[in-house]
Amino acid sequence: MHEMQKYINLTYELARADFKLKYYGSFTGLLWSFLKPFFMLLILYGVFFHILKVNIPYYPWFLLLGIIVWNFFADTTKESMQSISAKAHILRNVNIPPVIAVLSTFLHLLWTFVITLVVFGILLGIFGVPFSGNIFLVLFLLMLLVLVTLGISLFTAPLFTRFRDFGHLWDILLQMFFWILPITYSHTLVPQSYRVWYLANPLTRIIIYLRDSILYHNTPDVSALLYTTFLSFTLFLIGVFFFMRQQKMLIEHL
Amino acid sequence: MKKVIDIHALTKLYKIPHEKRTTLFETAVGYMKRQLSYESFYALQDISFSIQSGEIIGLIGKNGSGKTTLLKILGGVLHPTSGSCAIQGVVAPFLSLGVGFHHELTAEENLYLYGAILGLSRKEIKEKMPAILAFAEVERFKDMKLKHFSAGMTGRLAFALMTQTNPDILLIDEIFAVGDKDFTPKSLSLLQKYRDEGKTVIVASHSLDLIAQYADRVLLLENGKIKMLGTPKEVIVHYQSS
Repeated sequence: MHEMQKYINLTYELARADFKLKYYGSFTGLLWSFLKPFFMLLILYGVFFHILKVNIPYYPWFLLLGIIVWNFFADTTKESMQSISAKAHILRNVNIPPVIAVLSTFLHLLWTFVITLVVFGILLGIFGVPFSGNIFLVLFLLMLLVLVTLGISLFTAPLFTRFRDFGHLWDILLQMFFWILPITYSHTLVPQSYRVWYLANPLTRIIIYLRDSILYHNTPDVSALLYTTFLSFTLFLIGVFFFMRQQKMLIEHL
Repeated sequence: MKKVIDIHALTKLYKIPHEKRTTLFETAVGYMKRQLSYESFYALQDISFSIQSGEIIGLIGKNGSGKTTLLKILGGVLHPTSGSCAIQGVVAPFLSLGVGFHHELTAEENLYLYGAILGLSRKEIKEKMPAILAFAEVERFKDMKLKHFSAGMTGRLAFALMTQTNPDILLIDEIFAVGDKDFTPKSLSLLQKYRDEGKTVIVASHSLDLIAQYADRVLLLENGKIKMLGTPKEVIVHYQSS
């Protein structure tokens, strides 16, 4: 087999094994991955709808979409972080690029994400929320989300391998991001003077545009999309660049 | 006969920091103090030798003499600090038993996973599955989770899979510890078959009897240096008398 093909095959097999291990034979495994966002939805909905009285149309869907995207981002960056040390026994004994450990973890979480999205789509259908967005636009935005998440994962993985307490720092940063991103609230509440900075985060834009196109029949204009694409690719490339620089010393730190 | 491994003046130096900084906090403090003290440790020092195709090389030496480091460098996992290590052909690393095996997965699933680590595709393994299971003598247990396997069964499974990778050079680290009196000769005669096909096998082991019986040449390492390289008989006699 060609070298590249070998690595692709390995990434796939590792992801498959991880996926199986997570949901092995038990219905509960898969069930929990749905219950977690569901309970998160209930709590946030209770607080924001009933106590803080937000007035956003389709608020449960608005919230659920945000939570799904958020869970993918948070779970992936956290698990990718540990992926290299989790596969240390392999990396230390066989000549395999460490990036495969990150990519396989990423891939198996991506599968979970896709399943969640399908369930979300089915729920939308069952509850009769009209979807009239452009499916290609949605797919494009999801691709950008995947790129950004992968870019950040390539950043967190070497940092955690090098500095074991980075995990704690990342937990704090994730807490912060959760409230910075427009998951529970609408970005229109952000004061105009901060808006430029607020929207410089590609994740923020991806969440807003995903909602706009899935729930509110709005299509972002081309320049906004181009800007988001540019920001996403930049983050992704920074991640790739950072990882490539760190790759060589990673094995020694295992 | 052609030279497949050519090692020249190979040295591996480990720098073991006196205080290993594994956290952001320690690193920050360390930068302020600006001191980095290392303990230098030569795992391998000025090693030179070459190996022809169609040889079984036994690698012996006390614990910590550099056997595993040498195998890891040959396998491309570690890089030499200085010197060169030229290798011709595909190397199958078999450094520790069933690296990547997962106890919660079945024998079959593990073979797909481990096969991928060794560079085999799902399709290839599927074709070879009956042969692998038969060689490992675990056909009946292919759907059993690996956690219910004995160490011997796991070892046999790993070895059986490795024989399917068809490499030019095989690196083996202490595998005979797991085989029973039937399996060990079976695997060793397979190694001899490999040699006859012109492949190269390097085996690190503490079982001197087996090395004496099967190796063509034996390399004795001591504190990271080559103490002796020669016929099994003379090297083992030397090793036992020292």
